[in-house]
Amino acid sequence: MSQNRDFGPPKIIKNQGSHHPINQVKDSIIDFLISLGFEIADGPEIETEEFNFDMLNIKESHPARQMHDTFYVNNKSHVLRTHTSPVQIRGMLNKKPPFAFISGGKVYRKDDDSTHLPMFHQIEGIYVDNNVSFSNLKDLIYKIVHFLFGEDIKIRFRPSYFPFTEPSAEVDILSKDGKWLEILGCGVVNPIVLQNCKIDNEQYSGLAFGLGIERIAMLKFGVLDIRDFYKSNLDFLSQFK
Amino acid sequence: MKLSYQHLKQKINSKLNKNELSDKLFQLGHEHEIHDDIYDFEFTPNRGDCLSINGLLRDLKLFYDVSISNDIFNKSINTLSLNFNNNVKKHCSNISFLKIEVDEVSQNYNGELKEYFDDMDVKRNNFFTDISNYISYETGQPTHCYDALKLGNYIKLDFLDKKVKFETLLGKIIELNKGDLVFFNENNDVINLAGIVGGINTACSKNTRSVIVECAYFDPEAIIGKSVLYDIRSDASHKFERNTDPACHEYVLRRFLRIIEKHANINKIELFSESNAHEKKTIVPFRINKINSVLGTAIEKSKCSEILKRLGFYINEDSIEVPSYRHDIQNSNDISEEIARSIGFDKIKSTNFKITFNKDSKIFSQEDRLKNLLTENGFYEVINNPFTSQNNEDAIEIDNPLDSSRKFLRQNLKDSLIDNLLYNERRQQDSVKLFEISNVYSSSPDANKRLIGIIASGRIDKNYRDFSKFIDKKYIGSIFEGIIDLNQLNIVDISRESLNTKLKHPITYIEFLLDSSIKINYSSEVSKTLPINNFKYSPVSDFPRSIRDLSYSVKDPAKFKILEERIYEFRDRLLREVFIFDYFHNEKQSEIKIGFRFVFQSNEKTITENEVNNIIDQIINNTVSIDSVSIPGLK
Repeated sequence: MSQNRDFGPPKIIKNQGSHHPINQVKDSIIDFLISLGFEIADGPEIETEEFNFDMLNIKESHPARQMHDTFYVNNKSHVLRTHTSPVQIRGMLNKKPPFAFISGGKVYRKDDDSTHLPMFHQIEGIYVDNNVSFSNLKDLIYKIVHFLFGEDIKIRFRPSYFPFTEPSAEVDILSKDGKWLEILGCGVVNPIVLQNCKIDNEQYSGLAFGLGIERIAMLKFGVLDIRDFYKSNLDFLSQFK
Repeated sequence: MKLSYQHLKQKINSKLNKNELSDKLFQLGHEHEIHDDIYDFEFTPNRGDCLSINGLLRDLKLFYDVSISNDIFNKSINTLSLNFNNNVKKHCSNISFLKIEVDEVSQNYNGELKEYFDDMDVKRNNFFTDISNYISYETGQPTHCYDALKLGNYIKLDFLDKKVKFETLLGKIIELNKGDLVFFNENNDVINLAGIVGGINTACSKNTRSVIVECAYFDPEAIIGKSVLYDIRSDASHKFERNTDPACHEYVLRRFLRIIEKHANINKIELFSESNAHEKKTIVPFRINKINSVLGTAIEKSKCSEILKRLGFYINEDSIEVPSYRHDIQNSNDISEEIARSIGFDKIKSTNFKITFNKDSKIFSQEDRLKNLLTENGFYEVINNPFTSQNNEDAIEIDNPLDSSRKFLRQNLKDSLIDNLLYNERRQQDSVKLFEISNVYSSSPDANKRLIGIIASGRIDKNYRDFSKFIDKKYIGSIFEGIIDLNQLNIVDISRESLNTKLKHPITYIEFLLDSSIKINYSSEVSKTLPINNFKYSPVSDFPRSIRDLSYSVKDPAKFKILEERIYEFRDRLLREVFIFDYFHNEKQSEIKIGFRFVFQSNEKTITENEVNNIIDQIINNTVSIDSVSIPGLK
């Protein structure tokens, strides 16, 4: 038997391909969030201004609504969604609390340089129930960040501003070289948004979070130029098996 | 927005260094970088009230005793007889014009004005504009200075009813659009693009001794977007877009006068003021239970009250009156954020997050199965952006594209995948197998769909069984045999004739809808997700690779494994890849013939023949010394 093994032909190794690294990161996070009890929701990439902005308390005067930040289509009747938040609006209109769901996918903003792309990926989540607080949100964010970067990572919560959450926070992690790096945004769902979705904002409250997949992938893999993900270069893609 | 550490520190009655203050500013949500003694802030767009020294000091009152300057002009001011016609009171509720005449102006600035220009590295302009810039820095309220002799006694504020050419005070000529909010003079010439930039026709100069200072509140909706549209990024537009304090005008103008007083003899002061809105106060119910419920805390009402008072809120038993500069405060959640900022977001304890009404329900979709099937057969997933120059009949057009080459949304995946394939072929890849899954959109009602596109060309694989075989329709069909009904798949060859390529191998392509009509009989349920590890990718080289093959004869099969080990254990920084591309065991003659392919590439430069030959020589010397191993034909 050993003779056969020693003198046998070399093993035929089939070259394995790979899922795109952005989808690997996205799917990892989605799987983790599903394990916490979130359901997946989906929505269109071409959205109305009502769902993309108005329902989310993003007023006409907000810079995001200007032509230089958002892609408009069909004679300004629709936009390419600038975030995955409209999926949350659609979900909230269709469900009664309590609910918890996540949406992930492509979003579009009118940017194109070494750190911004006109198309990128986000995952957002929302949880609405009785007595949901900022304190619950912090625990969820710790769970997500520890999943992504390990239990030893140092985390900082900073006050920030998103029209659809209040209070709003940005979350930083401390890098090995001592710099704080922003990784996600989150907050308590703004009662105005709950009201827009016909949810009793005195009885229910919610938390929401969103993260940019490319940002997480760049930090995890040490990729410096976001454009590398989209060159479809096999020398690049083959490293993510 | 740049603010000086020293200018803040002067007003804070506490010993603190730059970094201690920086930590407090981060706690308040004011993200910044520190360059020498300057904080460079990126304030959130809802905090227009912080865009000044005084604004930031109001927030820092949470932690320190601060003194906001009370050094103002205290004398009475006569009324200015001005013919002002405000046709847009809804968008400009409060406005004042202060006329000032001086004898001479000092070229030597003193006090806070000198410190501002010295410390902030700001270019001086003319006396009145310099004071206007300083006042904006200190108070957050932009003012505009007209040369009174050029302006006359008539001003009108209105929306433009037609396109008009306008020369800014910086000499830039722009074409204003209908609907822009502007000031006119008595000749109906535009003299100021409201809240953005003044005109050259009424601009102050170094000789100006009589000035009219405009101090206004503009509705952000009337200002937003103009500065970007006309590429005029002024301090005033930045502040007006983020909202200003409608109740600060008298204080600001008296501060303005006080600074003038320190530098010049004032001959005459007259003031015109118009206030069209009764002061609208925002009142929020004071609900301590709601605040604690939003935050998940147990803070006492007295503590909340103390925090809010320090921030300038007026507290009643059951209500909170919001100061006029805090446009961001509307409800109890906003109040909760104020409390959280003062405590520190990091100091709020986390409490267990648990969803009890759903269960872990990972479902492997047919899309997941298809992706696993393809990657197990050597295909790589790619993601392309959807923008294209191709205007098909039903294509959705972008109203404001990045450029003309990205004016439409693609309706198929084929064109992007062909580009991806040719890109890799140009990078000397002799086997390219790619797929993409994406939604595509079109103006036809039934044409919004989810597609998979699969493209491949070149060698089937690198292993010695498949190295000499080339991808064709039969090979692609074999991947799906027994998994998808082949009658549902339209596998095609793409002609290379119109493509910019000299290669001859067929390009094989399939594209099909991912919907319920496709049944995928493949059971792989492995999650192709990332382990949480420390994997770091290696930057990809853009230099050409060099390939060498060595074909060995091994007479004693027992020595074959030794040869294999020596080759695979050989290391060189230029050697990127080794694999067996040919293998034949002639049992009658007891001889193994085996071919190894070596791929060389540098990250720094194009490698030379000599460098490759040297490495190959080392490999040969390492291997032909094995008993019974030779390279036929080697001299």
